[in-house]
Amino acid sequence: MTGKGDVPRSFEAPRIVRLERNLYAACFSLMKLLPARYILDRAQAAGRLLPGGSVVETTSGTFGLALAMTTAVRGFELTLVTANSLIDPPLRRRLEQLGASLHVVEDASGSGAQAERLMLLKKVLERRPETYWPQQYDNPDNRWAYGSFAESVCREIGRVDCLVGCVGSGGSLCGTGGLLREMFAELVILAVDTQNSVLFGHPPGPRLLRGLGNSVLPSNLQHELIDDVHWVGVLPAFAAARQLYRQHAVFMGPTSGAAALVAAWYARRQPDATTLVILPDEGHRYQHTLYNDDWLVGIKGWPVDVPREPVTLSRIEAAGEGDWTRLAWARRALATVTAGSCRS
Amino acid sequence: MASSRRDRQNPRFDQAAEQGNERSGPHLKLGTGRAIAHHGEILQGVFENEDGHLLRGLITLPLAAQQSTATYWPNGPGRIRTRPPGRGKAAKAAALTLKHLGFANIGGDLTIESDIPIGHGYGSSTADVVAAIRAVAAGAGVNLRCSTLSKLAVQAEGASDAIAYGEQMVLFAHRQGDIIEHLGGDYPPLQVVGFRSGGARPIDTLNLPRARYDQQQIAQFKALRGLAFRAVKQQDPRLIGYVATASARIGQHHLAKPDLETILNLAKAFDACGVQVSHSGTLMGVIFDPTEPGVVQRSRLLRDQLERSGYEGVITFFVNVDGVFRQ
Ligand SMILES: Cc1ncc(COP(=O)(O)O)c(C=O)c1O
Repeated sequence: MTGKGDVPRSFEAPRIVRLERNLYAACFSLMKLLPARYILDRAQAAGRLLPGGSVVETTSGTFGLALAMTTAVRGFELTLVTANSLIDPPLRRRLEQLGASLHVVEDASGSGAQAERLMLLKKVLERRPETYWPQQYDNPDNRWAYGSFAESVCREIGRVDCLVGCVGSGGSLCGTGGLLREMFAELVILAVDTQNSVLFGHPPGPRLLRGLGNSVLPSNLQHELIDDVHWVGVLPAFAAARQLYRQHAVFMGPTSGAAALVAAWYARRQPDATTLVILPDEGHRYQHTLYNDDWLVGIKGWPVDVPREPVTLSRIEAAGEGDWTRLAWARRALATVTAGSCRS
Repeated sequence: MASSRRDRQNPRFDQAAEQGNERSGPHLKLGTGRAIAHHGEILQGVFENEDGHLLRGLITLPLAAQQSTATYWPNGPGRIRTRPPGRGKAAKAAALTLKHLGFANIGGDLTIESDIPIGHGYGSSTADVVAAIRAVAAGAGVNLRCSTLSKLAVQAEGASDAIAYGEQMVLFAHRQGDIIEHLGGDYPPLQVVGFRSGGARPIDTLNLPRARYDQQQIAQFKALRGLAFRAVKQQDPRLIGYVATASARIGQHHLAKPDLETILNLAKAFDACGVQVSHSGTLMGVIFDPTEPGVVQRSRLLRDQLERSGYEGVITFFVNVDGVFRQ
């Protein structure tokens, strides 16, 4: 589909840049445009979403923005359910200017209010049952949306030996990784998570690095694909994002910093392997935070140096926001790893 | 929209027919045409065209060592008779070509000599059809673009493959006869040890049910198309091996080769690039990089092992290398 109603599609492909001889980065302006467009395409093709229809999703970030852009140009009504701890005024203005309606849940504890948000979403669905809910966490189309990205990777790089990416829903890493591994059986997949995220077995808690990690377990995260998991705290993630900008003039968000940190470490250790890292969004949204020294001085523990290597753990163990930890996951199911961790 | 696209791809397709109407019979002379066999596919699946529509498509693995040769003798108004008799698709292709070139209702004799085995997926019928089209075109003293040839071939037999393109690697919509994507040039150099599954019977390809693909497979085909493009650009046989192997695995959901896993293990043991199959036949092939050291020895050992294991039709053939077609 090209022409009217498809402008965001032109923005969905990343620029693939070569950071080092053996390290490539896929720099997305807004990675979530890809699953947002694909999921809506599929819903429209199936007749689940009719012209002028309505869409609802619970999201705190970039998936909401991508949905707002895509629904705006396609003439759908969009309702987003979020929490006051998650949404900043500039993003709120952008969403509203694109025509989205926002329901903002109170979240005094700062945990993300996932349960309250879901309850509110259910109410919207009960009131208007024809409303389409994309369900990025559990909808497998979130993964298959990355077919076109895997195609670009193959066209521009060819064989890849290691893929590094953040996990929020799991869509980008498990979609891309699953497709690449079908061709390159030895592909190593490194997942980047953060402290206090339940994705790889931490007990839930406040997360300062937003965009990756989760307080619920999405089925788009397929643990059996993952070779190694890295938990990057907010401080090394910020420092790494700034270093990426300073060294390569690649201006990306904080989750990109975390992913780039892990990828550069792997590429240094494996000079003969071709490593590719997925960088999910640009730095513009974070100019008043991570790229603003006055704001950063208010962050406990800042400044930090960019760490050279992670602390390797032998079992799942939460650490602090200044830490970068790693566990050899070895393509195991979550239950297998947590059972092992309890025993030791 | 659809027709303007066709015109763009084949600017002379309709034009030639119109001009031809002003011509008449006497320009026709005896003509000969040849076409090569193939050894199944490197990739088969569904692919998006420019408009975002999904089309069934494939990348053919050419087998130049086996050929069909057609000779056309013009013979005034009447029917096309074939020798051997009963080559109806080739006769139809010849008649369509005559009509396309403006020689309506002209008949003739079409002789087909082919060393391509029938029914195993070597594309014997397409080779006859393409050879017949080329023979008629030669008789009329005209050149036909590969795209025109492929269109005529599809009209004659319902589905075709990309052998008209020779060593140009293309992603081909075999039911429309259109190119989905020119993959950028020649096939990378390939050495293939090909064979038929033991005891396999010929398959009636047109009566196979059409494969249905799920979203995961459709996404996989996108990645495989990208890798095929890269393989041509880098002239890298290893990448062709990855594409063919992944495509063969997906093919297991449709027309399963019972011994694919065995062959994949053999390919690994002999450090081959990968395994290809014919998605509507019984052929399988182990792909080597002919430029690698030790490949002659390794492929010979594999060949011996396959023969000892009872595989039929074991051949070694080459694509885009200096020297021999076949050993
Ligand atoms: C900035 C950012 N980074 C990383 C991710 C994680 O991507 P995924 O949901 O595909 O796992 C997201 C997801 O929303 C994101 O917004």
